[in-house]
Amino acid sequence: MKKATAILAVLLLLSAAIVFAGGQGGGGTMAEPTVLTVLYYIDATQAGYAEDQAIWAKFSAENPDIKIQKEELFDEAFHQKVAAYVAAGNLPDVMFMWPSGRSTALHEKKLVKDLTPLLGREFLSNFVPAAVDPANQKSKFLAELPQSVTYTTVMYSNTKLLKDNGLAEPKAYSDLKAMVPKLRAKGVQTVLMANKDTWVMQSCLFSTITGRLLGDAWIDSVKAGRANFSDKAFVDALGFVDTMYKDGVISRDTIQLAYGEGPALFAENKSAFLVDGDWRQGAFLTDSSTGVALIDPQRQKNDFSFLNFPAIPGEKNPGIVSAIVGVGFGISSSVPAGSAKEEAAVRWMKYYYSPEVQKIKLETGAYIPSRKGITSDKVEPFTQKMPLYYASINKTCYVLDGVLDVDVYTPLNNGLQEMGLGSKNPTQVAADVQKAIEAWRAKQ
Amino acid sequence: MSQRPWKVVEERRAYWSMVCPAVILYVFVFAFPIIISIVISLSNYAGGKMFGGEAWWITGFQQYIKLARDPYFWLALKNNVYIVLISVFGQLPLGLIFAYLIYRRIVRFGEFWQGILYMPAIISVIVIGIMWNIIFSPYGLIAELVNRSYAAAFSRQVERIFSEAGGFQITDEVVKRLIAAGGPTATHIFADPVAELKALLSHYSPDQFAVLKQDLVNLLARKWSPAFLAKRDVAMLPILFVVLWMWTGMYLILFLANMQRIDSGIVEAARIDGASEGQIIWRIMLPMLSGVVVNAAILCIAGSLNSFELVFAMTGGGPARVTQLLSIYMYDRAFMGAPDYPLANAIALAIVIFSLILIMLTKVVERRYGGRE
Repeated sequence: MKKATAILAVLLLLSAAIVFAGGQGGGGTMAEPTVLTVLYYIDATQAGYAEDQAIWAKFSAENPDIKIQKEELFDEAFHQKVAAYVAAGNLPDVMFMWPSGRSTALHEKKLVKDLTPLLGREFLSNFVPAAVDPANQKSKFLAELPQSVTYTTVMYSNTKLLKDNGLAEPKAYSDLKAMVPKLRAKGVQTVLMANKDTWVMQSCLFSTITGRLLGDAWIDSVKAGRANFSDKAFVDALGFVDTMYKDGVISRDTIQLAYGEGPALFAENKSAFLVDGDWRQGAFLTDSSTGVALIDPQRQKNDFSFLNFPAIPGEKNPGIVSAIVGVGFGISSSVPAGSAKEEAAVRWMKYYYSPEVQKIKLETGAYIPSRKGITSDKVEPFTQKMPLYYASINKTCYVLDGVLDVDVYTPLNNGLQEMGLGSKNPTQVAADVQKAIEAWRAKQ
Repeated sequence: MSQRPWKVVEERRAYWSMVCPAVILYVFVFAFPIIISIVISLSNYAGGKMFGGEAWWITGFQQYIKLARDPYFWLALKNNVYIVLISVFGQLPLGLIFAYLIYRRIVRFGEFWQGILYMPAIISVIVIGIMWNIIFSPYGLIAELVNRSYAAAFSRQVERIFSEAGGFQITDEVVKRLIAAGGPTATHIFADPVAELKALLSHYSPDQFAVLKQDLVNLLARKWSPAFLAKRDVAMLPILFVVLWMWTGMYLILFLANMQRIDSGIVEAARIDGASEGQIIWRIMLPMLSGVVVNAAILCIAGSLNSFELVFAMTGGGPARVTQLLSIYMYDRAFMGAPDYPLANAIALAIVIFSLILIMLTKVVERRYGGRE
C-alpha cells in the first residue's frame, strides 16, 4: 500500500513538473501566433496544386503572427467532414463552401458570418456584381465570397472532328440530331455527359433546358404554389431530355459513366461534344508538375471551341444558360467579433482574393475569377476561350439545385437518371417532383 | 467462520474491480452512442451542440413513420435482403463445398486454390469496388470483348450481303438486309431507316468498301451495353456477384480450419460403410459444424447489413438509387445536402433491429435443426 502511494506521489510530482515547465516555456517575450483553422477543398492530383500550395506558403511567410492549420479534402470526403463538423457544432474558423446546395446547412443555420461588413464595401466593389449579391446565396447574406461566377452548361466542341466528318457546328437541336448517324458510323458519340452522378444532368443541362423553355419566373411561381411541376410545360422540358436519349444524341450508356471519366473520353475523340460546367476546362490543361495535358495547348487552340447549347424546339428564352455564383471561403460565426482570430481570417480572405493570387488561379486554370480586371498572357487557350464564351451569353437562368430545396431537387435528379434508364417517363418524374414540392411547401 | 463475510466482501471487490473497467468502456464506447442515436431518432435535433445549442425536443416516432412511408427505404431494405441472401445462401454453402473439396483432397493443389479463393478478402474493398466498376462499365473489359465479337460477326454478314448482291451495290434490298442483320440502332436514329441509310451509303465509292464496312459495323452492329445492369430489377446482380466472389474464400478458411479438427476416422468409417461424399457432407460435416455455420451466418448477416464501402465504390447507390443500401441511405440523409440527423439515426436503428431479427432467426434455425459439435 505504501509502495503504491509512493509511486502515485512520484507520478503526481512528475506531472506537475511537466505542466509547469510547459507553462514557463510558453511565457516568453514572443507573442503567440493566432491559430486559424481552415477547411479547404482541393484535389491534390489536379493541375495547379503545387502553385496553390505556394499561395498558402507565401501567406504564412508574410504573416508570422498567424499560424494556419489547414485541412485539405476533396469531393465526398470534404462534404462528409463538413457535415460532421456541423453535427458536432465545431466548425473550423475559415472554410470553403458553396452558395447553396451542399452547404445548405451552413447557410440555413447561420453558421458563417456575413462577409459584407468584415471585408468592407470598398474591397467588395472589386468583384463583379453577381458575385457579391446576397440574393445569390441561400442565406441571403454574403456567407461566402464567390471566387467565380459559374456557367453550368458549356458545350465543349471538337471542331476538328466535326470538320473531318464534313459537319458544321450545330445551331439548332435538329442539326445535332442529324449528326448522329454520321458520327456513329465513325464510332463517335454525339454528346457525351458523365451522368453517373445524379446532379450532372440537372446542373449541366436540364437547368438550361428549363430556363429556355420555362424561365426563372415560372420556377418562382412553382415555389410560390402558383404553378406545378406536373404542368405540361415542365413535362415537355423533361420530355426534351427523354428525346435526346431516344434520338441517340446522348447515349444511355452515359448513365454508367463516372464524372471523372468524361474529359479523358472527350480528349480521345470519343465524342464530338461534351456538355459540362465551365469548371471542366481546368481538367484539360497542362499540369505544371508533370508537363502533361489531356489536350495540349496546340490542340486546345486549333481543334476545340466552346459553344452555347443549340436552340431547343419551343424555347421561349433563346440562348439562355444556367449560371450560379461559385464557391469560396466563409468565416465561422463562432469566431468572436473583433477578436485577433477574426482579424486573421479577414486578412487571409483579403490575401486570397487579391489580384496577385487570383491571377495565379486564372493562370492555373482553376477558374475565371469574379474579381474584376484579372488578366494574364500565360493562360492556355481553353482558359482564354472561356471569357469569350461568357461574352456570347446574353442572359443566365437558375441552376435548379441552387434554388430548389434538397428534398425537391433530389427526386428530380433521380428522375432524370430514371428517364435515361428508360424506367420512368417524363410524366411520372414530373409527378414525383410535384409531390416533393408539395411536401416542402407543407413544411414551410 | 468469522473470516467468511470478509472473504465475500473481498471477492465482491475483486469482482467489481475487474468488471468495472470493461463495463465503463462498454457503456461509453457502445451503449452511449446507441442511446444517443435512439434519442436523436425520436427528436427534431438539427445539428450543432446538443446541450446549450439550438433548442430541440422529443417528437416521438415521426421519423419511423416517415421511413415506413418512404419507398426508397423499402428499396434499400430489399437490396440489403439480397445481399444477406447471397451471403448466407451463397457464400456459406460455396465456402463449405470448397473447404470440403480441399479437405478431402478431391481437388489437387488444395493450398493453391485456398490462396486464390481467399485473396479477394485481403484486397482493399475500395480497390475491389473500383476494379469491378471498371470491368462492368460501358467502356470496360466485358463490353469491349463482347462488342468485338459482335462487330466481327456483323462484318462477316456485311461481306456476305454484298457478295450475294453481286458486289458493291446500294439497293433497297441490300439496305433492308443490312438493317435486318444489325441491331435496333437504325430504327432509333433514322425516321425512315431504308431511305436515310441508303442516302448515307451513297456517299461511298466502290474502292471505299473497307471504310464502308467499318462504318456499317460502327453504325449498325449489335452492341452489348451494360445499361441493362442499371435497371431496378437487375442492378444488384453485379454487386451480388462481387460480394460472392469476395467473401467466399473467408468462409472457406473458417470451415476448413474446423473440418481439420474433426476426427478423420469418422469420415473414413463412413466411407467404408459406403456413404457418398454428399452424404458425408450432409450427415456428418454439417451437423458437426452447425455451431460454426451459425457463427459464420451471424458474421455474414452483420457484414451484409454493414456493407457500405463495396457498393459505395462500385455504384455509389446509383443510378437513380437502384443499388442503394440502408447504410448508403443513412449516409445520404446524414451527410448529403441538408442533413436530417433524426431520420439518419432512425435508419441506423432500423439496421440494428433488422440485424437482431435475422440473428435471432438464425439461432432458432440452429436450435431446431443444428446438430452437436
